[in-house]
Amino acid sequence: MRIAIVTTHPPSKGSLNEYAYHFVRFLKTKTEMVEEIILLLDELPEGQQYSPEQNQAQVPVRSVPCWQFNALDNSFRIRKAVREADPDIVLFNIQFASFGDKKVPATLGLLTPWLLKLDGQKVVVLLHNIMETVNLKSAGFGNNPILEAVIRLFGNIITRFILKADWVAVTIPKYVEILESKYGAQNVLLAPHGSFEEPTETAPSTMPGGKPTVMTFGKFGTYKTVDLLVEAHAVLLKKHPDMRLVIAGTDSPNAAGYLQGVRDRYSHVPNVEYTGYVAEGDVPRIFGEAWVVAFPYTSTTGSSGVLHQAGGYGKAVVLPNLGDFAELVLEEGYDAEFFEPTSADSLAASIAKVIDNPERQREIGLRNYAAANGLPITEVVDWYLIHFEELLKRK
Amino acid sequence: MSLEINPTEQIIKIAAISLKGRLDAFEAPALRKTCDEYIANGFDHFVFDLTDVAMIDSAGLAVLVSVLKRARQKNGDVRLVWPREEAASRILKLTKFDQVFVSIEKSEIVPKGF
Repeated sequence: MRIAIVTTHPPSKGSLNEYAYHFVRFLKTKTEMVEEIILLLDELPEGQQYSPEQNQAQVPVRSVPCWQFNALDNSFRIRKAVREADPDIVLFNIQFASFGDKKVPATLGLLTPWLLKLDGQKVVVLLHNIMETVNLKSAGFGNNPILEAVIRLFGNIITRFILKADWVAVTIPKYVEILESKYGAQNVLLAPHGSFEEPTETAPSTMPGGKPTVMTFGKFGTYKTVDLLVEAHAVLLKKHPDMRLVIAGTDSPNAAGYLQGVRDRYSHVPNVEYTGYVAEGDVPRIFGEAWVVAFPYTSTTGSSGVLHQAGGYGKAVVLPNLGDFAELVLEEGYDAEFFEPTSADSLAASIAKVIDNPERQREIGLRNYAAANGLPITEVVDWYLIHFEELLKRK
Repeated sequence: MSLEINPTEQIIKIAAISLKGRLDAFEAPALRKTCDEYIANGFDHFVFDLTDVAMIDSAGLAVLVSVLKRARQKNGDVRLVWPREEAASRILKLTKFDQVFVSIEKSEIVPKGF
Protein backbone atom coordinates (compact mmCIF):
# COMPACT_ATOMS: atom_id res chain seq x y z
CA MET A 1 0.00 0.00 0.00
CA ARG A 2 1.02 3.62 -0.51
CA ILE A 3 0.67 5.80 2.58
CA ALA A 4 0.60 9.60 2.80
CA ILE A 5 1.30 11.08 6.23
CA VAL A 6 0.37 14.65 7.11
CA THR A 7 2.83 15.56 9.83
CA THR A 8 5.79 17.56 11.00
CA HIS A 9 9.17 15.84 10.77
CA PRO A 10 12.74 16.84 11.67
CA PRO A 11 14.42 19.16 10.87
CA SER A 12 11.10 20.96 11.39
CA LYS A 13 10.80 21.68 15.10
CA GLY A 14 6.99 21.59 15.03
CA SER A 15 5.18 19.56 17.67
CA LEU A 16 5.07 15.76 17.17
CA ASN A 17 8.11 15.93 14.88
CA GLU A 18 9.95 13.40 17.00
CA TYR A 19 7.04 10.95 17.02
CA ALA A 20 6.85 11.23 13.24
CA TYR A 21 10.58 10.65 12.93
CA HIS A 22 10.45 7.37 14.82
CA PHE A 23 7.16 6.25 13.25
CA VAL A 24 8.54 6.76 9.74
CA ARG A 25 11.91 5.24 10.73
CA PHE A 26 10.13 1.94 11.34
CA LEU A 27 7.37 2.28 8.75
CA LYS A 28 9.97 2.39 5.99
CA THR A 29 11.31 -0.99 7.10
CA LYS A 30 7.92 -2.65 6.41
CA THR A 31 8.73 -3.50 2.81
CA GLU A 32 6.41 -6.51 2.84
CA MET A 33 3.34 -4.29 3.22
CA VAL A 34 4.26 -0.74 2.16
CA GLU A 35 5.22 0.38 -1.34
CA GLU A 36 5.76 4.10 -0.80
CA ILE A 37 5.55 6.72 1.95
CA ILE A 38 4.67 10.28 1.01
CA LEU A 39 5.32 12.78 3.80
CA LEU A 40 3.11 15.85 3.52
CA LEU A 41 5.17 18.19 5.65
CA ASP A 42 5.22 21.73 7.00
CA GLU A 43 7.46 24.05 5.05
CA LEU A 44 10.87 24.77 6.57
CA PRO A 45 12.35 28.23 7.14
CA GLU A 46 14.33 29.79 4.30
CA GLY A 47 17.58 27.94 3.62
CA GLN A 48 16.57 24.62 5.19
CA GLN A 49 15.35 21.54 3.36
CA TYR A 50 14.22 18.02 4.11
CA SER A 51 16.89 15.36 3.73
CA PRO A 52 16.31 13.25 0.61
CA GLU A 53 18.15 10.25 2.15
CA GLN A 54 17.00 6.94 0.71
CA ASN A 55 17.93 3.38 1.46
CA GLN A 56 17.46 0.93 -1.40
CA ALA A 57 16.53 -1.85 1.01
CA GLN A 58 13.72 0.20 2.51
CA VAL A 59 10.42 1.65 1.41
CA PRO A 60 10.98 4.80 -0.68
CA VAL A 61 10.08 8.00 1.17
CA ARG A 62 9.09 11.19 -0.65
CA SER A 63 8.90 14.54 1.19
CA VAL A 64 6.34 17.05 -0.04
CA PRO A 65 6.36 20.31 1.95
CA CYS A 66 2.82 21.63 1.50
CA TRP A 67 1.60 23.43 4.59
CA GLN A 68 2.66 26.08 7.07
CA PHE A 69 1.97 26.63 10.76
CA ASN A 70 -0.74 29.32 11.07
CA ALA A 71 -1.42 29.53 7.32
CA LEU A 72 -5.05 29.80 6.27
CA ASP A 73 -4.82 27.72 3.10
CA ASN A 74 -3.43 24.49 4.57
CA SER A 75 -6.58 22.46 3.85
CA PHE A 76 -6.55 23.48 0.22
CA ARG A 77 -2.85 22.77 -0.26
CA ILE A 78 -2.87 19.43 1.56
CA ARG A 79 -5.89 18.24 -0.48
CA LYS A 80 -4.09 19.24 -3.67
CA ALA A 81 -0.95 17.36 -2.59
CA VAL A 82 -3.03 14.28 -1.72
CA ARG A 83 -4.76 14.37 -5.11
CA GLU A 84 -1.37 14.48 -6.82
CA ALA A 85 0.11 11.70 -4.69
CA ASP A 86 -3.01 9.50 -4.93
CA PRO A 87 -2.21 7.31 -1.91
CA ASP A 88 -4.23 4.35 -0.62
CA ILE A 89 -4.39 5.79 2.91
CA VAL A 90 -3.86 9.24 4.39
CA LEU A 91 -2.64 9.27 8.00
CA PHE A 92 -2.67 12.48 10.06
CA ASN A 93 -0.21 12.75 12.96
CA ILE A 94 -1.72 15.72 14.77
CA GLN A 95 -2.90 17.40 17.95
CA PHE A 96 -5.27 20.31 18.37
CA ALA A 97 -2.61 22.99 17.80
CA SER A 98 -0.75 21.24 14.96
CA PHE A 99 -1.84 23.66 12.27
CA GLY A 100 -1.57 26.84 14.31
CA ASP A 101 -1.74 28.57 17.65
CA LYS A 102 -4.25 31.04 16.22
CA LYS A 103 -7.83 29.88 16.33
CA VAL A 104 -8.83 30.27 12.66
CA PRO A 105 -5.86 28.50 11.01
CA ALA A 106 -5.85 25.84 13.72
CA THR A 107 -9.54 25.16 13.08
CA LEU A 108 -9.29 25.21 9.30
CA GLY A 109 -6.35 22.82 9.36
CA LEU A 110 -8.23 20.36 11.57
CA LEU A 111 -11.07 20.20 9.04
CA THR A 112 -8.69 18.69 6.48
CA PRO A 113 -9.29 15.03 7.41
CA TRP A 114 -13.04 15.52 6.91
CA LEU A 115 -12.50 17.31 3.59
CA LEU A 116 -10.26 14.49 2.38
CA LYS A 117 -12.93 12.00 3.38
CA LEU A 118 -15.38 13.96 1.24
CA ASP A 119 -12.83 13.69 -1.57
CA GLY A 120 -13.12 9.91 -1.30
CA GLN A 121 -9.85 9.20 0.50
CA LYS A 122 -9.33 6.60 3.23
CA VAL A 123 -8.38 8.73 6.22
CA VAL A 124 -6.94 7.77 9.60
CA VAL A 125 -6.19 10.41 12.23
CA LEU A 126 -3.71 9.82 15.04
CA LEU A 127 -4.97 12.43 17.50
CA HIS A 128 -2.47 12.95 20.32
CA ASN A 129 -4.79 14.93 22.55
CA ILE A 130 -8.49 15.53 22.94
CA MET A 131 -10.18 18.77 23.92
CA GLU A 132 -11.91 17.21 26.91
CA THR A 133 -8.66 16.62 28.80
CA VAL A 134 -6.63 19.68 27.79
CA ASN A 135 -6.13 22.24 30.51
CA LEU A 136 -6.49 25.27 28.24
CA LYS A 137 -4.96 27.72 30.67
CA SER A 138 -1.80 25.77 31.25
CA ALA A 139 -1.62 24.79 27.58
CA GLY A 140 -1.42 28.48 26.68
CA PHE A 141 -4.97 29.04 25.42
CA GLY A 142 -7.78 30.93 27.05
CA ASN A 143 -7.34 33.29 29.96
CA ASN A 144 -10.94 33.92 30.88
CA PRO A 145 -13.83 31.53 31.50
CA ILE A 146 -16.01 32.83 28.64
CA LEU A 147 -13.21 32.51 26.12
CA GLU A 148 -12.42 29.05 27.48
CA ALA A 149 -16.07 28.00 27.09
CA VAL A 150 -16.09 29.26 23.50
CA ILE A 151 -12.86 27.41 22.71
CA ARG A 152 -14.28 24.23 24.21
CA LEU A 153 -17.47 24.59 22.18
CA PHE A 154 -15.43 24.96 19.00
CA GLY A 155 -13.26 22.08 20.17
CA ASN A 156 -16.34 19.88 20.44
CA ILE A 157 -17.47 20.85 16.96
CA ILE A 158 -14.02 20.24 15.49
CA THR A 159 -13.85 16.89 17.27
CA ARG A 160 -17.07 15.86 15.51
CA PHE A 161 -15.48 16.72 12.16
CA ILE A 162 -12.29 14.82 13.02
CA LEU A 163 -14.45 11.83 13.93
CA LYS A 164 -15.66 11.73 10.30
CA ALA A 165 -12.35 10.00 9.48
CA ASP A 166 -12.43 6.24 8.91
CA TRP A 167 -10.46 5.67 12.10
CA VAL A 168 -9.34 8.03 14.85
CA ALA A 169 -6.46 6.58 16.83
CA VAL A 170 -5.65 7.88 20.32
CA THR A 171 -2.84 6.92 22.66
CA ILE A 172 -4.66 6.73 26.00
CA PRO A 173 -7.51 4.32 26.85
CA LYS A 174 -9.52 7.03 28.61
CA TYR A 175 -9.62 9.03 25.36
CA VAL A 176 -11.32 6.13 23.57
CA GLU A 177 -13.94 5.94 26.30
CA ILE A 178 -14.56 9.72 26.28
CA LEU A 179 -14.95 9.91 22.52
CA GLU A 180 -17.22 6.86 22.46
CA SER A 181 -19.45 7.99 25.32
CA LYS A 182 -19.64 11.72 24.56
CA TYR A 183 -19.79 11.61 20.77
CA GLY A 184 -21.20 8.13 20.24
CA ALA A 185 -18.17 7.35 18.06
CA GLN A 186 -17.62 3.76 16.92
CA ASN A 187 -14.47 4.48 14.94
CA VAL A 188 -12.03 5.32 17.73
CA LEU A 189 -9.25 2.92 18.59
CA LEU A 190 -6.40 2.78 21.04
CA ALA A 191 -2.96 2.78 19.43
CA PRO A 192 -0.48 3.04 22.29
CA HIS A 193 2.46 5.39 21.90
CA GLY A 194 5.16 2.73 21.92
CA SER A 195 8.80 3.04 22.83
CA PHE A 196 11.16 4.75 20.40
CA GLU A 197 14.12 2.55 21.24
CA GLU A 198 14.64 -0.80 19.59
CA PRO A 199 14.35 -3.72 22.01
CA THR A 200 17.66 -5.01 23.29
CA GLU A 201 18.52 -8.27 25.00
CA THR A 202 19.98 -6.68 28.11
CA ALA A 203 18.67 -3.74 30.06
CA PRO A 204 20.76 -0.55 29.94
CA SER A 205 22.18 0.72 33.19
CA THR A 206 19.48 1.76 35.60
CA MET A 207 22.24 2.98 37.94
CA PRO A 208 24.58 5.18 35.93
CA GLY A 209 26.86 6.31 38.77
CA GLY A 210 28.48 9.74 38.87
CA LYS A 211 26.76 12.63 40.60
CA PRO A 212 23.06 12.22 41.39
CA THR A 213 21.37 13.65 38.32
CA VAL A 214 17.74 14.59 37.84
CA MET A 215 16.79 15.23 34.24
CA THR A 216 13.71 16.62 32.56
CA PHE A 217 13.22 16.57 28.81
CA GLY A 218 10.83 18.38 26.52
CA LYS A 219 9.52 21.67 25.16
CA PHE A 220 8.76 23.85 28.11
CA GLY A 221 6.61 26.79 29.10
CA THR A 222 2.99 25.73 28.69
CA TYR A 223 1.85 22.64 30.58
CA LYS A 224 5.44 21.46 30.96
CA THR A 225 7.06 23.93 33.32
CA VAL A 226 10.27 23.59 35.29
CA ASP A 227 9.81 26.19 38.06
CA LEU A 228 8.54 23.56 40.48
CA LEU A 229 11.43 21.26 39.60
CA VAL A 230 14.06 23.94 40.21
CA GLU A 231 12.43 24.67 43.58
CA ALA A 232 12.46 20.95 44.41
CA HIS A 233 16.12 20.84 43.35
CA ALA A 234 16.89 23.66 45.78
CA VAL A 235 15.29 21.59 48.57
CA LEU A 236 17.26 18.47 47.61
CA LEU A 237 20.59 20.32 47.46
CA LYS A 238 20.51 20.62 51.26
CA LYS A 239 20.99 16.86 51.53
CA HIS A 240 22.80 16.25 48.23
CA PRO A 241 25.00 19.31 47.57
CA ASP A 242 26.51 17.73 44.45
CA MET A 243 23.16 16.95 42.83
CA ARG A 244 22.71 18.07 39.21
CA LEU A 245 19.50 19.19 37.57
CA VAL A 246 19.58 18.90 33.77
CA ILE A 247 16.84 20.76 31.90
CA ALA A 248 17.03 19.29 28.41
CA GLY A 249 15.10 20.97 25.62
CA THR A 250 13.78 24.27 24.44
CA ASP A 251 10.87 26.65 24.87
CA SER A 252 7.50 25.46 23.63
CA PRO A 253 6.52 27.27 20.39
CA ASN A 254 3.67 28.82 22.46
CA ALA A 255 6.01 30.11 25.20
CA ALA A 256 9.01 31.82 23.63
CA GLY A 257 11.47 33.10 26.26
CA TYR A 258 10.15 30.90 29.07
CA LEU A 259 13.43 29.12 29.86
CA GLN A 260 15.41 32.38 29.87
CA GLY A 261 12.92 33.67 32.44
CA VAL A 262 13.54 30.57 34.56
CA ARG A 263 17.31 31.10 34.33
CA ASP A 264 16.86 34.69 35.51
CA ARG A 265 14.44 33.86 38.31
CA TYR A 266 16.50 30.99 39.70
CA SER A 267 20.03 32.20 38.98
CA HIS A 268 20.78 31.76 42.70
CA VAL A 269 20.14 27.97 42.55
CA PRO A 270 23.38 26.09 41.75
CA ASN A 271 23.99 22.95 39.66
CA VAL A 272 21.24 23.61 37.12
CA GLU A 273 22.26 22.90 33.52
CA TYR A 274 20.29 24.01 30.47
CA THR A 275 21.17 21.98 27.38
CA GLY A 276 19.05 23.80 24.79
CA TYR A 277 17.89 21.79 21.78
CA VAL A 278 19.01 18.16 22.04
CA ALA A 279 20.01 16.61 18.73
CA GLU A 280 18.98 12.96 18.15
CA GLY A 281 22.57 11.78 18.57
CA ASP A 282 22.82 13.30 22.07
CA VAL A 283 19.61 11.79 23.41
CA PRO A 284 21.18 8.49 24.64
CA ARG A 285 23.84 10.36 26.64
CA ILE A 286 21.32 12.76 28.18
CA PHE A 287 19.11 9.88 29.33
CA GLY A 288 22.07 7.66 30.17
CA GLU A 289 23.47 10.08 32.77
CA ALA A 290 20.14 10.53 34.55
CA TRP A 291 19.43 8.80 37.85
CA VAL A 292 15.81 9.81 37.60
CA VAL A 293 13.70 11.49 34.93
CA ALA A 294 11.20 14.04 36.26
CA PHE A 295 7.92 15.11 34.64
CA PRO A 296 6.95 18.46 36.19
CA TYR A 297 3.72 18.71 34.19
CA THR A 298 0.64 20.61 35.30
CA SER A 299 -1.62 18.78 32.85
CA THR A 300 -1.09 16.19 30.15
CA THR A 301 -2.09 16.37 26.54
CA GLY A 302 -1.69 12.81 25.42
CA SER A 303 0.66 9.98 26.09
CA SER A 304 4.18 11.02 26.95
CA GLY A 305 6.89 10.18 24.48
CA VAL A 306 9.44 11.10 27.11
CA LEU A 307 8.05 8.49 29.51
CA HIS A 308 8.44 5.81 26.84
CA GLN A 309 11.97 7.05 26.11
CA ALA A 310 12.85 6.95 29.80
CA GLY A 311 11.54 3.38 29.89
CA GLY A 312 13.64 2.46 26.88
CA TYR A 313 16.73 3.61 28.78
CA GLY A 314 15.67 1.75 31.94
CA LYS A 315 15.18 4.91 33.98
CA ALA A 316 13.28 5.55 37.17
CA VAL A 317 10.72 8.33 36.79
CA VAL A 318 8.74 10.68 39.01
CA LEU A 319 5.31 11.57 37.65
CA PRO A 320 2.63 14.08 38.61
CA ASN A 321 -0.46 12.57 40.16
CA LEU A 322 -2.59 13.24 37.07
CA GLY A 323 -5.19 10.89 35.66
CA ASP A 324 -3.57 10.26 32.29
CA PHE A 325 -0.26 9.22 33.80
CA ALA A 326 -1.89 6.99 36.39
CA GLU A 327 -3.81 5.24 33.61
CA LEU A 328 -0.71 4.85 31.46
CA VAL A 329 1.10 3.21 34.32
CA LEU A 330 -1.77 0.78 34.77
CA GLU A 331 -2.32 -0.02 31.09
CA GLU A 332 1.26 -0.18 29.90
CA GLY A 333 2.97 -1.60 32.97
CA TYR A 334 5.18 1.35 33.94
CA ASP A 335 6.22 2.14 37.52
CA ALA A 336 6.92 5.52 39.10
CA GLU A 337 7.00 7.62 42.21
CA PHE A 338 4.13 10.12 42.13
CA PHE A 339 3.96 13.70 43.43
CA GLU A 340 1.33 16.38 43.85
CA PRO A 341 1.60 18.54 40.71
CA THR A 342 1.61 21.88 42.57
CA SER A 343 3.97 21.03 45.44
CA ALA A 344 7.77 21.41 45.22
CA ASP A 345 8.11 19.61 48.55
CA SER A 346 6.09 16.66 47.24
CA LEU A 347 8.23 16.55 44.08
CA ALA A 348 11.44 16.72 46.14
CA ALA A 349 10.20 13.90 48.38
CA SER A 350 9.41 11.71 45.37
CA ILE A 351 12.83 12.31 43.84
CA ALA A 352 14.45 11.55 47.20
CA LYS A 353 12.60 8.21 47.37
CA VAL A 354 14.49 7.22 44.22
CA ILE A 355 17.85 8.91 44.79
CA ASP A 356 18.15 7.68 48.38
CA ASN A 357 17.04 4.14 47.62
CA PRO A 358 19.13 2.41 44.94
CA GLU A 359 16.97 -0.72 45.19
CA ARG A 360 13.84 1.29 44.35
CA GLN A 361 15.70 3.14 41.59
CA ARG A 362 16.68 -0.17 40.04
CA GLU A 363 13.22 -1.71 40.51
CA ILE A 364 11.43 1.16 38.75
CA GLY A 365 14.05 1.29 36.02
CA LEU A 366 13.76 -2.42 35.22
CA ARG A 367 9.97 -2.37 35.27
CA ASN A 368 9.92 0.62 32.93
CA TYR A 369 12.41 -1.07 30.67
CA ALA A 370 10.17 -4.16 30.48
CA ALA A 371 7.14 -1.97 29.75
CA ALA A 372 8.94 0.01 27.03
CA ASN A 373 10.37 -3.14 25.45
CA GLY A 374 6.96 -4.79 25.59
CA LEU A 375 5.60 -2.44 22.96
CA PRO A 376 8.27 -0.82 20.77
CA ILE A 377 6.99 1.61 18.15
CA THR A 378 7.91 -0.83 15.37
CA GLU A 379 5.08 -3.06 16.64
CA VAL A 380 2.72 -0.10 16.99
CA VAL A 381 3.41 0.59 13.31
CA ASP A 382 2.37 -3.02 12.59
CA TRP A 383 -0.90 -2.40 14.45
CA TYR A 384 -1.60 0.54 12.13
CA LEU A 385 -0.77 -1.50 9.05
CA ILE A 386 -3.12 -4.30 10.10
CA HIS A 387 -5.93 -1.77 10.61
CA PHE A 388 -5.05 -0.14 7.27
CA GLU A 389 -5.34 -3.53 5.56
CA GLU A 390 -8.75 -4.12 7.10
CA LEU A 391 -9.81 -0.63 6.03
CA LEU A 392 -8.69 -1.18 2.45
CA LYS A 393 -10.75 -4.38 2.31
CA ARG A 394 -13.88 -2.26 2.87
CA LYS A 395 -15.63 -0.91 -0.19
CA MET B 1 -10.72 -48.62 -17.12
CA SER B 2 -8.56 -48.65 -14.03
CA LEU B 3 -9.27 -46.43 -11.10
CA GLU B 4 -7.51 -43.10 -11.23
CA ILE B 5 -6.26 -42.12 -7.81
CA ASN B 6 -5.27 -38.51 -7.21
CA PRO B 7 -4.67 -37.92 -3.55
CA THR B 8 -4.00 -34.43 -2.27
CA GLU B 9 -2.46 -33.71 1.05
CA GLN B 10 -2.77 -30.58 3.03
CA ILE B 11 -0.95 -30.36 6.27
CA ILE B 12 -1.87 -27.37 8.38
CA LYS B 13 0.18 -27.05 11.51
CA ILE B 14 -1.98 -25.55 14.22
CA ALA B 15 -0.60 -24.58 17.60
CA ALA B 16 -3.25 -24.35 20.30
CA ILE B 17 -1.88 -22.41 23.26
CA SER B 18 -3.85 -22.17 26.45
CA LEU B 19 -2.94 -19.34 28.80
CA LYS B 20 -3.71 -18.80 32.47
CA GLY B 21 -2.79 -15.76 34.59
CA ARG B 22 -1.70 -12.26 33.59
CA LEU B 23 -0.45 -11.53 30.10
CA ASP B 24 1.51 -8.36 30.84
CA ALA B 25 4.86 -6.72 30.10
CA PHE B 26 6.68 -9.08 32.45
CA GLU B 27 5.09 -12.30 31.20
CA ALA B 28 4.84 -11.42 27.51
CA PRO B 29 8.48 -12.26 26.63
CA ALA B 30 7.97 -15.92 27.63
CA LEU B 31 4.90 -16.22 25.38
CA ARG B 32 6.75 -14.48 22.57
CA LYS B 33 9.60 -17.00 22.87
CA THR B 34 7.18 -19.94 22.77
CA CYS B 35 5.45 -18.56 19.67
CA ASP B 36 8.78 -17.83 17.98
CA GLU B 37 9.69 -21.48 18.39
CA TYR B 38 6.40 -22.66 16.88
CA ILE B 39 6.78 -20.30 13.93
CA ALA B 40 10.36 -21.46 13.39
CA ASN B 41 9.00 -25.03 13.31
CA GLY B 42 6.58 -24.23 10.50
CA PHE B 43 3.39 -23.51 12.42
CA ASP B 44 1.31 -20.82 10.76
CA HIS B 45 -2.09 -21.27 12.44
CA PHE B 46 -2.52 -20.43 16.10
CA VAL B 47 -5.34 -20.66 18.58
CA PHE B 48 -4.90 -18.82 21.87
CA ASP B 49 -7.27 -19.91 24.58
CA LEU B 50 -7.65 -16.80 26.73
CA THR B 51 -10.53 -18.12 28.82
CA ASP B 52 -8.54 -18.05 32.06
CA VAL B 53 -6.41 -15.00 31.38
CA ALA B 54 -6.99 -12.49 34.17
CA MET B 55 -5.57 -9.41 32.49
CA ILE B 56 -3.91 -8.35 29.24
CA ASP B 57 -1.95 -5.13 28.84
CA SER B 58 -0.63 -3.59 25.63
CA ALA B 59 2.64 -5.54 25.80
CA GLY B 60 0.65 -8.77 26.07
CA LEU B 61 -1.58 -7.85 23.16
CA ALA B 62 1.55 -6.96 21.18
CA VAL B 63 2.59 -10.63 21.26
CA LEU B 64 -0.76 -11.79 19.89
CA VAL B 65 -0.69 -9.16 17.13
CA SER B 66 2.90 -9.99 16.26
CA VAL B 67 1.94 -13.66 15.83
CA LEU B 68 -1.08 -12.61 13.73
CA LYS B 69 1.13 -10.54 11.44
CA ARG B 70 3.67 -13.31 10.93
CA ALA B 71 1.01 -15.99 10.50
CA ARG B 72 -0.78 -13.96 7.84
CA GLN B 73 2.49 -13.46 5.97
CA LYS B 74 2.54 -17.26 5.60
CA ASN B 75 -1.17 -17.39 4.71
CA GLY B 76 -1.97 -18.52 8.23
CA ASP B 77 -4.20 -16.99 10.86
CA VAL B 78 -4.76 -16.58 14.58
CA ARG B 79 -8.00 -17.34 16.42
CA LEU B 80 -8.87 -16.48 19.96
CA VAL B 81 -11.03 -18.11 22.56
CA TRP B 82 -12.43 -15.02 24.23
CA PRO B 83 -11.36 -14.23 27.82
CA ARG B 84 -13.93 -14.38 30.61
CA GLU B 85 -12.44 -11.42 32.50
CA GLU B 86 -13.26 -7.86 31.47
CA ALA B 87 -9.69 -6.84 32.45
CA ALA B 88 -8.47 -9.19 29.74
CA SER B 89 -10.95 -8.35 26.96
CA ARG B 90 -10.79 -4.55 27.55
CA ILE B 91 -7.57 -3.99 25.60
CA LEU B 92 -8.87 -6.06 22.67
CA LYS B 93 -11.97 -3.88 22.48
CA LEU B 94 -10.13 -0.58 22.99
CA THR B 95 -7.66 -1.33 20.21
CA LYS B 96 -10.46 -2.71 17.97
CA PHE B 97 -8.50 -5.91 17.53
CA ASP B 98 -11.72 -7.62 18.56
CA GLN B 99 -12.75 -6.76 14.97
CA VAL B 100 -9.53 -8.21 13.51
CA PHE B 101 -9.05 -11.49 15.37
CA VAL B 102 -11.55 -14.25 14.65
CA SER B 103 -12.96 -15.56 17.91
CA ILE B 104 -14.00 -19.17 18.36
CA GLU B 105 -15.60 -21.25 21.10
CA LYS B 106 -13.41 -23.34 23.37
CA SER B 107 -15.06 -26.48 21.96
CA GLU B 108 -13.81 -25.60 18.48
CA ILE B 109 -10.11 -25.71 19.39
CA VAL B 110 -9.76 -29.39 18.59
CA PRO B 111 -11.67 -30.57 15.48
CA LYS B 112 -14.30 -33.13 16.45
CA GLY B 113 -14.95 -36.47 14.75
CA PHE B 114 -11.41 -37.82 14.63
